[in-house]
Amino acid sequence: MRKVKILIGTLILLLSFTGIAFVSEKNKGESVKLEEPQEVIYYESEQFGGPEIVYVKPVRGVLFSHKKHVGELGFPCESCHNSLFEMQALKSQENPDFKMEALYQGKYCGACHNGQAAFASNTKCATCHIGVKGLKEYMRKLASKEKK
Amino acid sequence: MFKGIKDWLLNLKNEGVEKVPDETKREFLKIGLIITGVFAGGSLFSVISRVAEGLASSEELHKSYPYKPHYSMVFKIDRCIDCELCMEACRKTNHVPDYGWRTMILRRYDESALDQKTMFMPILCNHCNNPPCVRACPTKATYKDKKTGIVRMAYDKCIGCKTCMVACPYNVRYFNEEKHAVDKCDFCWESRLSKGITITACAEACPAGVRIFGDLSDPGSEVYKLVHQLAKPVWVLKPETGAKPNVFYTIS
Repeated sequence: MRKVKILIGTLILLLSFTGIAFVSEKNKGESVKLEEPQEVIYYESEQFGGPEIVYVKPVRGVLFSHKKHVGELGFPCESCHNSLFEMQALKSQENPDFKMEALYQGKYCGACHNGQAAFASNTKCATCHIGVKGLKEYMRKLASKEKK
Repeated sequence: MFKGIKDWLLNLKNEGVEKVPDETKREFLKIGLIITGVFAGGSLFSVISRVAEGLASSEELHKSYPYKPHYSMVFKIDRCIDCELCMEACRKTNHVPDYGWRTMILRRYDESALDQKTMFMPILCNHCNNPPCVRACPTKATYKDKKTGIVRMAYDKCIGCKTCMVACPYNVRYFNEEKHAVDKCDFCWESRLSKGITITACAEACPAGVRIFGDLSDPGSEVYKLVHQLAKPVWVLKPETGAKPNVFYTIS
């Protein structure tokens, strides 16, 4: 009887140890994933027509918000797609001319953000540039959503 | 002579204030104001005049440049986008570990703000003319470079007491485990300036032209032109500490 008790005890101990090891390993993996900033495509809600897109090129942490442009301002898809941007998210950041210079010439966001239709691209920098801190917030949001 | 006064005072009838003319009431109030004014007014006036001076001009902040070159940095704060390329460049150039930092971007977020809701603010060592950290160091491990005014570290003298970290009003020092000494920004003196490069790694890495580095004692330099003008506001952080920092903030 005593031997059985010892056996069960050791078994429980072993199980709990592996459990703790498993959990800590899992947590480790997540924190590593968050360290290196990566671009984010985050779907806030289907009704906004598109995701929140955070670009990382040429600089990290630039937000385009469908929630703002489609949900709040009510622009139809055709105002940007496919003349200014392709339907595939983050496609334009692969283009070599995807820089502020191009925006000043009326390309990409600069088509509207020219100081007339919307605020000029060379003003209010931190409105779109949410930075590495903003990017990491979106990465965290995405990670917690994926977990669910 | 004074014996009768007590009785006379006690026997005085209360005349009430109804019969006192306005003129007399005013006179009485003035006496009170003058008396309190003598005590409080002096200090109040000095506070007010100081505020007025501080807001009107930053001359007090840059009256004399005791160093040659007098290294300084000016931030065009509204252009900062927190891409953190400066931090990355600093880490690589000066071998800063993950847990520490020599320069950093602070963020201010206000949901209730109109329009733009975020503001970024880069910070680094202010290389003060009157550095509290240097005064606090018991071993003179941190010192003001006599030629350039850069606040530097003698790592072999540092005993790791961290008093300087507490003394620094700008929180720009960290304890480096590998060096077993406190580490901080030295305007890239060891890694770049002493080798003939004229710009810090962070200023070179900034894609938005936020960080402008140069010699404040040279009237031809960009930092001199940015600080010596009144068209745009120029300010320093925590001027009340009297540290006389050499890092200035302005807008583009």
